[in-house]
Amino acid sequence: MAQPQGLLYSKEHEWAKIEGDVATIGITGYAQESLGDIVFVELPRIGARIDQGGNVGVVESVKAVSDLFTPLGGEVVEVNGAIEEDPGLVNREPFGAGWMFKVKVADAAAQRDHLLDPEAYDQLIQQAEH
Amino acid sequence: MVNPAAQRQTVLYDEHRALAARMVPFGGFSMPVQYESILKEHDAVRKRAGLFDLSHMAQYFFTGADAGAWLDGLTVNHVANMRHGQARYNVFTNERGGAHDDVIVYRFDDERWMVVVNAGNAEKMLAYLRERLPAGVEFVSKHGINANIALQGPLSQRLLAPFADVDLAGVKYYTSRECVVDGAPAILARTGYTGEDGFEIFVDGEHAPRIWRALLQAGRADGVIACGLGARDVLRLEAGMPLYGHELSEEITPVQAGLAWVVKFDKPAFVGREPLERQARADQYARIVGVKAADGPPLREGYLVKHEDLPLGEMRSGAPSPTLGGNIGTALVAKQAAAPGTRIAVEIRAREYPAEVVALPFYKRAK
Repeated sequence: MAQPQGLLYSKEHEWAKIEGDVATIGITGYAQESLGDIVFVELPRIGARIDQGGNVGVVESVKAVSDLFTPLGGEVVEVNGAIEEDPGLVNREPFGAGWMFKVKVADAAAQRDHLLDPEAYDQLIQQAEH
Repeated sequence: MVNPAAQRQTVLYDEHRALAARMVPFGGFSMPVQYESILKEHDAVRKRAGLFDLSHMAQYFFTGADAGAWLDGLTVNHVANMRHGQARYNVFTNERGGAHDDVIVYRFDDERWMVVVNAGNAEKMLAYLRERLPAGVEFVSKHGINANIALQGPLSQRLLAPFADVDLAGVKYYTSRECVVDGAPAILARTGYTGEDGFEIFVDGEHAPRIWRALLQAGRADGVIACGLGARDVLRLEAGMPLYGHELSEEITPVQAGLAWVVKFDKPAFVGREPLERQARADQYARIVGVKAADGPPLREGYLVKHEDLPLGEMRSGAPSPTLGGNIGTALVAKQAAAPGTRIAVEIRAREYPAEVVALPFYKRAK
């Protein structure tokens, strides 16, 4: 399955869309499918300073608790209240309305080196499935 | 990490793979935890019907005039007084009153019985029963040979009727019938673990894939789907049914598990009878209770339970409840925190969330 273009990906199955100095963060289609029905999310607080790769929240499915890592570090400027109300939105639209939070990134150029482009991420999940 | 290669497969393994099930190790077998969605599978069973592969559970057959009396000495519920065709929930106990396993005992006629044991306890129980087997009782294990296909949900009877050569209306709740299902000799039992009406079909494994496909095909237009262990766990929890290793164990007795109705102290002797009777009479034991939390994270096994700031127990099972809304679970708590209506707190990731002790079951179907 092809991964959406214009996004960067982490090995922990999060995506980031960088627009200016703000990045929108979510979990990938592969991640939500692996988790199954998502029933609860715990997002970072607005104003929190988070580090790239840091454990910033929790995503829970019916069966399991999974940590949420952030692909980019910075200051949290917005969280998606809609998925706190309706966690199933993450399953239905992981790359759209099911986004998780937005972070103000000071040094995007340096941080993005640690992330994967869509093709490299697609290869990663192909390998994971075999 | 459990090595998936070391897991056994049921005769329906290829069916699960064909349906793109997510397989997990469970009780020594590679089993489907979900197909497409646990919530959709749960919904199918409550409103329509769902099909489960329970072939990982062991079917132990006993034949002999004294088999019932012998099993009476090892279990808390009555066995020998069961009627032909009756099924009964029971618990094998240890010398301290803890549970070796919880089972369903099926009686077929004067001399023939079947005991269905949990997959995770199958080897332990095989050794335990073989060691104690009296002369004159024959023991045959059909574990891994027979399959068990469970059809659960309100449409079960209508869906199964064309495949069975008996009138299903005559197969009452907690009874079984030896009959023919889709051309194969089978034991058809009106038992289950979901809180819904339904049947279990015990049949030689060679017939199982055909029956599985036929039932799925027959139910397709009605939205009947294959269901995994994930949905089964939520269904049984809502129905207040214990799961071995959670609400019952070698340490947690049937009295503690709230199964006093199963423990027959009028039986003259059975393993663990005296400690259980002392425990029940003293009434000071930690016990299994229902817990409900309106919102917050799902309740899960291992979470600490507090009452008036004192740690008084721990969660033993938990899940979001699609039927009730909110989160439900069971906890093993001290007596002082066990009354329904008691306000408790559950500690989740170093934060306390309010919850309430409630009576079990959470869900009971309308008759």
